[in-house]
Amino acid sequence: MLVLRGFQRITSVLLQQGNTSLRSLTTTSNVVQHNEDMLIKMENPYKEPQKGCLLCNVSVDFKNTQLLSQFISPYTGRIYGRHITRLCSRKQKEVAKAIKKSHAMGFMSVTHKHPEFMKDPHVCGKHLE
Amino acid sequence: MPRYELALILKAMQRPGTSAALRRTVETLMERGAVVRDLENLGERLLPYKINKHNQNHLRGSYFLIDFYAAPSILTRLLDHLHRDVDVVRPTVLKKDDQVASSNCCGS
Repeated sequence: MLVLRGFQRITSVLLQQGNTSLRSLTTTSNVVQHNEDMLIKMENPYKEPQKGCLLCNVSVDFKNTQLLSQFISPYTGRIYGRHITRLCSRKQKEVAKAIKKSHAMGFMSVTHKHPEFMKDPHVCGKHLE
Repeated sequence: MPRYELALILKAMQRPGTSAALRRTVETLMERGAVVRDLENLGERLLPYKINKHNQNHLRGSYFLIDFYAAPSILTRLLDHLHRDVDVVRPTVLKKDDQVASSNCCGS
């Protein structure tokens, strides 16, 4: 009985305020029910454009030893891991494969970095500068 | 579109020697029914490491890139032939696919 009475009261209130407030009641209870300040559904206007990795639109080739040399250690010639190069998985794989290919084909040195490329800008990691 | 790419490293020789070796290589390619599309010279440079081939230690070499269309059946015999050539330091045949801008990278 009590429940029925409560229900009747709610419905009468709804009918008085019109249809707009009905939506807010049914969705969340935290929303304040004003007609003018209704939440407008829109995309986050402060959203920043997604930044890709360094080599986002750059094609990786085994012939481009200068580019590949930027991702190896100058002292040992080892390929840096993803946590240092900060590349996405696809590009990291491509770079690693290209470096190994150029090693095998005699294009790039294995144990060190070509001295010509030592002055190139440091692209990997901050602590190496 | 080029189907294969031959990255050829020749011994550091004088110009007539290099041209003769290149001519030989392209002729063997054409004999086996390959269509040579492009021949690029990447210059003569110091090899990244000492390469020991045909009882000789090589320090310098001239790099060439040959694009060609060919049937896949000729490749093994072609590579065998190139390995036996004294002037060739390192031959490598790669398949060439032009799928650079195929899909979105990094999801952005």
